[in-house]
Amino acid sequence: MDFDFTEEQTLLQDSIAKFVQENYDLPSRSKLIKTKTGYSEDYWRKFAELGWLALPFSEENGGLGGNLIDTMVICDALGKGLVVEPYYATVILAGTALQLAGSAEQKQKLIGGIIDGSIKATVAYAEVQARFDLNDVATTASQEGQSYVINGTKSVVLNAETSDYIIVAARTSGQRTDANGISLFIVDSKAEGLSRIDYPTIDGGRGSEVIFKNVKVASSDLLGPLNKGLEILEDLRDQAILALCAEAVGQMELMYKDTVAYCSQREQFGHPLSDFQVLKHRFADMFVETEQCKSLLYRATLEKQAGMPSARRVIHALKYKVGKESNLLARLCVQSHGGMGVTEELRLGHYFMRLAVTDSMFGNYDYHIDKYTQLMELPVGGDGEDFGFMM
Amino acid sequence: MDIELSKEDLKFQAEVEEFLGKHLPKGAEIWSKRAEWFAALKEKGWDVPNWPEEFGGPGWTPTQHFIWDKVTSKHTMPPTIPFGQVMLAPILMKYGSKEQQDKFLPDIRDNKVMWCQGYSEPGAGSDLASLRTKAELTPDGKHYIINGTKIWTTMGHVANWIFCLTRTQTTSVKQEGITFLLFDMKSPGVEVKPIYTLGGSHHVNQVFFTDVKVPVENRVGEENQGWTYAKGLLQHERKGLAGISRSIFAMEKLKEKVIKVPVGDKTLMETEFKKKIAAAEIDLLALEYTELRTLADMVNTGSTGHASSVLKLKGTMMQQTIQELTLEAAGIYGAPWGHNKVGLKFGRSAMEMYLNGRPATIYGGCSEVQRDVIAKRVLGV
Repeated sequence: MDFDFTEEQTLLQDSIAKFVQENYDLPSRSKLIKTKTGYSEDYWRKFAELGWLALPFSEENGGLGGNLIDTMVICDALGKGLVVEPYYATVILAGTALQLAGSAEQKQKLIGGIIDGSIKATVAYAEVQARFDLNDVATTASQEGQSYVINGTKSVVLNAETSDYIIVAARTSGQRTDANGISLFIVDSKAEGLSRIDYPTIDGGRGSEVIFKNVKVASSDLLGPLNKGLEILEDLRDQAILALCAEAVGQMELMYKDTVAYCSQREQFGHPLSDFQVLKHRFADMFVETEQCKSLLYRATLEKQAGMPSARRVIHALKYKVGKESNLLARLCVQSHGGMGVTEELRLGHYFMRLAVTDSMFGNYDYHIDKYTQLMELPVGGDGEDFGFMM
Repeated sequence: MDIELSKEDLKFQAEVEEFLGKHLPKGAEIWSKRAEWFAALKEKGWDVPNWPEEFGGPGWTPTQHFIWDKVTSKHTMPPTIPFGQVMLAPILMKYGSKEQQDKFLPDIRDNKVMWCQGYSEPGAGSDLASLRTKAELTPDGKHYIINGTKIWTTMGHVANWIFCLTRTQTTSVKQEGITFLLFDMKSPGVEVKPIYTLGGSHHVNQVFFTDVKVPVENRVGEENQGWTYAKGLLQHERKGLAGISRSIFAMEKLKEKVIKVPVGDKTLMETEFKKKIAAAEIDLLALEYTELRTLADMVNTGSTGHASSVLKLKGTMMQQTIQELTLEAAGIYGAPWGHNKVGLKFGRSAMEMYLNGRPATIYGGCSEVQRDVIAKRVLGV
């Protein structure tokens, strides 16, 4: 039993931290966000050269065969830097979907391109009426000969604007909320009938509403088995949550550290703010809950990596705990900073905005406590001694 | 990073399980067959698990201790009193003289002498170093004369001996000038008065000392250095107080109860109450790994550092959360307090645990002190 990172993982951590330090101070990031694509192609190429895009993919697909702990290390480090390159959309979302369900041809066509940086992709799973339910899919794909014709609108598709391919969840049979009957398709983003409403997101990213109007795809663009897309989406959600939470926990850590440092030098009433016990105790609680979130992140990641049946339940637990605690911590950090907390001058405020968005991705904490509650293990018998009625 | 136990550890776990299966008394026999259980433990060499090998303990690794706690927490164990074996013995081993070790350790090991702890005073609770119970050396240098009072002395009314922090010097630094003494509770001048806690239980006492005469050879270590000896123990104590394995067991028991509590034609588990249990369980899932991470640190570095404060703080909160939920589950049957069991049978024990559970966040350094420790030692403020 150990919780240490390997030497390779530590090196990876260091190299991303170095990249962030050299390129990602807040003014540079702000400039980057305002460019046309919202990120830097040069940086993306650099990610490819350094192997960061290849790491999570298996060796047979041309990747470096990294495991979920490697991905955790990457997401933690990129998150600390508030990096806006489309790593999450392309590598985590699209990459995972392809790795989970892609045919040999699809993998060959796309994963190689993702690894060398020439292809970007994203996944369009959400819809406005569905809120967070992955099974609620109104977008349809109807078969016409050797093709499928897709109609519908997808919500908040990350980095769709710069994606070459969009993997879309569409209904191929059944009623709108049926678990069965959802299929995934790989759609060329320049396909006829596909249009977008693009917008920036509050955390420095890019999103789009993607509208499919009679968009025609070949049956060879079906990703995974017909009608069984929900299982893939759920597995994808598990892995996406691990990535999002790795990022969030890293950000929580820097937020409370920044806050302690700020309150140690900021004087009011003739004392550094950190002299006040009400703040000391707040800091202690922040530290403790961040450690608790980290523990749950490790647990969920290790259980998923080991293929344990309880992994999905623990991942729901993680998303709940991190969503709840990270946003509470973020609010308290802003509060402790006073006015400075609500400016865009400190990285704190940018983490604050990012964490608010992270909670909304793939279900907020309220949603995941419900999911956890449904999957909670209940005892079957009991010893019969101290419960039950006695008349 | 991985969570697999090594082959040796898995073997040890199987050995513990087998031993419990063979020797642990079940149900009501926990009381009647206690002696046999302790004898079996002693024969196996597991009667003093926390003692180092040189003093006759099993010399377990931190992981083995963890496995022992984890496996035993799944059973109701015959109760042991921690004061001698867990709290005093390590101090005697580290700071006591050879004579003291020979005199006291064997009886502690065999539960022949029951000890109590003389730390807190009416004016020294969380601020323990403010203690004022006075110990004055007689002119011939052969005895200390003790005057003062100790409070919250658990089992003081049945204990044979007390280990006691006394003040031998008044200096500007209150941690200095404290001396660690051992004495017989039957010494002339020792008076024990019961304190009844919520629900009428008698576990704790106030103990008064009037000119109690203690031979100087009953002093542990140097005069005025007692705080140093006691402090190491406090950190040790904290980790044990977290009781995380026991909370995991308690959570299972809670669910067993709730699943049978009727709410009209449904059970309580089919209401929003289930979500409260879920939220507590999630915290416990995290806490279990926080403990494992601490354990891994201990294996690597030999020290828990200040993680013991984190575990004490969160662990005791978790115990109380489970107690609160259990009482809430009992509903109106938390009220009946007689010995006739009526209605939901767990109601009385739920209330008892709820009441008796309050001190967990007070003793061993209250939660507020743990937060102070974390802020100072971990965060540097």
